[in-house]
Amino acid sequence: MQNLKTLAPLAWRNLWRNTRRTVITLIVVSVGLWSVLFFNSFLNAWGQAGKDAVLDLLIGQGQIHAQGYMDDPSIERLMRPPEGTFLEALEAGEIGAWSMRLQLPGVVVSEYKTLPVNMVGVDPAAERILSSIPEKIVKGRYLLDAHDSSVILGISLAERLKTGVGRRVILMSQNVAGALSEQSFDVVGIYDADKATEDYYAFTGLVAAQKFVGLDDEIAQITFTIPEEEALESTVARLALAAPDLDVRPWKQLSLFLATTDSFMQNFIYIWLAVVFSLMAIGIVNTQLMAVFERTHEFGLLRALGMKPRQVLVLVALESTFLIGFGVLLGVALAGMTIWALADGIDLSAFAAGLEMFQGGQVLYPQYDAQRFVVFSLLIWVLGILVALWPAWRAAKLSPIEAMRQVT
Amino acid sequence: MINPIVRCRGVGKSFGSGELVVHALRDVDLDILAGDFATLAGPSGSGKTTLLNMIGALDRPTSGTVEIDGQSLAGMDKSGLSELRLHKIGFVFQAYNLVPVLSAQENIEFVLQLQKVAPDERARRAREVLAEVGLEGMGHRRPSALSGGQQQRVAVARALVSRPSIVLADEPTANLDSATTTELVGLMARLNQELGITFVIGTHDPRVMDHSQRHIELLDGRIASDTRS
Ligand SMILES: Nc1ncnc2c1ncn2[C@@H]1O[C@H](COP(=O)(O)OP(=O)(O)OP(=O)(O)O)[C@@H](O)[C@H]1O
Ligand SMILES: [Mg+2]
Repeated sequence: MQNLKTLAPLAWRNLWRNTRRTVITLIVVSVGLWSVLFFNSFLNAWGQAGKDAVLDLLIGQGQIHAQGYMDDPSIERLMRPPEGTFLEALEAGEIGAWSMRLQLPGVVVSEYKTLPVNMVGVDPAAERILSSIPEKIVKGRYLLDAHDSSVILGISLAERLKTGVGRRVILMSQNVAGALSEQSFDVVGIYDADKATEDYYAFTGLVAAQKFVGLDDEIAQITFTIPEEEALESTVARLALAAPDLDVRPWKQLSLFLATTDSFMQNFIYIWLAVVFSLMAIGIVNTQLMAVFERTHEFGLLRALGMKPRQVLVLVALESTFLIGFGVLLGVALAGMTIWALADGIDLSAFAAGLEMFQGGQVLYPQYDAQRFVVFSLLIWVLGILVALWPAWRAAKLSPIEAMRQVT
Repeated sequence: MINPIVRCRGVGKSFGSGELVVHALRDVDLDILAGDFATLAGPSGSGKTTLLNMIGALDRPTSGTVEIDGQSLAGMDKSGLSELRLHKIGFVFQAYNLVPVLSAQENIEFVLQLQKVAPDERARRAREVLAEVGLEGMGHRRPSALSGGQQQRVAVARALVSRPSIVLADEPTANLDSATTTELVGLMARLNQELGITFVIGTHDPRVMDHSQRHIELLDGRIASDTRS
């Protein structure tokens, strides 16, 4: 303690002696930390936007099926529309919207081609709130209501079938009797999403789909959205409790691909952190070593006067602690200002053409991530101090006589 | 009989090894007594600095023993030697004696801080020694705002302030002009006479030797003569 009281003021004054060291260290640390913090916010926003775009399209934040449906999505494993406590649970606060769907795997036939398709019977009123497909109609119109027995196709599928709005296609799927139903549908609308979705999903009214395969009111799936991401787990648990015989799943269990990209996005920042820190460490060690060697004579003098090697180590380490600390503060301020300046969003639409993950005109909103700001700042600070112990140790181990012989 | 402050017996110091070995000191016996004002002279390379380093606990001999105030340097680690220097020895070097970022007063107080002396007493003692070396009122100045002679006087003040057993000065006047040299040596001689401070000064300078009451000549790492006047 007494040591610190003696050494801290001396270290403080020494900070401002070597302008080159001070400036280089400040720049290296602040720009490094800035890049980590800003990149973190950017990646979060990017991952979030990409994820939201995909979830909004069809998946939602979660889905409910009959037990076993996910493993064997057949017409024998359907469920009844929700009622009683289950319906109440669906209508509760955290759930933004929910929608009933009936998925019918089958084939679609045009004059030219027969292709596999997943015919989805939907309730257009609910879909308009929950899914972005209704907004992605580029030709014709979306479905009018659940009784609408026309069909909406994706651009890519329509092109491959060589069909379009105003034409008809035939759909075939297994019906309740185990036989094949076949019916012709008017193509009334074309939607534009990513190719995988376009090629596989066709939409018609829920009631029309049920009639097509001879069902009453059975459905295959309830999709729901939850505006507050934090409420996801508890809501899923609550729904599972309200419908114990059904299979309630959050999106991470529905799309392995998305769950993987999401955790990659979350963790990629650590790779960046490691890269930045390695560069920073080289900068810090070099400038500190330079500063130590420039003051060799002085360290010899201090040792001659009776300072112990350990005290010299503490002195130099304190200098780095202050200096890197300033760099960290500067970096946090820079990152804060950058994010503030970009609060209106970064428009990626110019680049989005090549990024199928994004559904057109994507705008990112980088946000402060208070927890990671604090953690990364402290991490950089502490790691910076640790690598700076090496030059400090070099200073401490100088022999006073050798050091004093150097007259600079 | 009073114990000597410094007691060297059979002290040898060599640098390097094999064909390149340099014997800087050979078999030196020397006692420095309390109140001595000794000059250490000899040609360049004769071992003056090396001997002062031994006496000042900056280095340990290759052979023989050095005792300071009865404590043998043998077997002391770096920290132990530092502690010994801090409490027993004051140093004045040829140049760059002061820590540039500290004022004169702070430079002097610094050793007291290392000795864990209370702030009030530190300030008082530092002002006292500054007055003693004739630099009253200059305490706030940084070394860069002091002349060479003034810097050396601050160094002398700093060497005194910890009340060491002995003050060692290696070529303290080498960078000073003639008038300033006379002034500094006069100051050290006065401190020796009035306060009984023990000095050992390594020097080439006859103006310094003029003041000495004991003169030691080194030649090739051996004591060639040791005379009191
Ligand atoms: N660290 C060292 N390594 C190798 N040789 C050394 C070292 N220190 C001193 N010497 C050698 O020891 C001998 C004595 O050196 P020393 O510095 O004690 O002489 P000096 O009397 O102080 O000389 P000067 O008057 O030039 O200061 C010289 O030959 C010198 O080259
Ligand atoms: Mg010398």
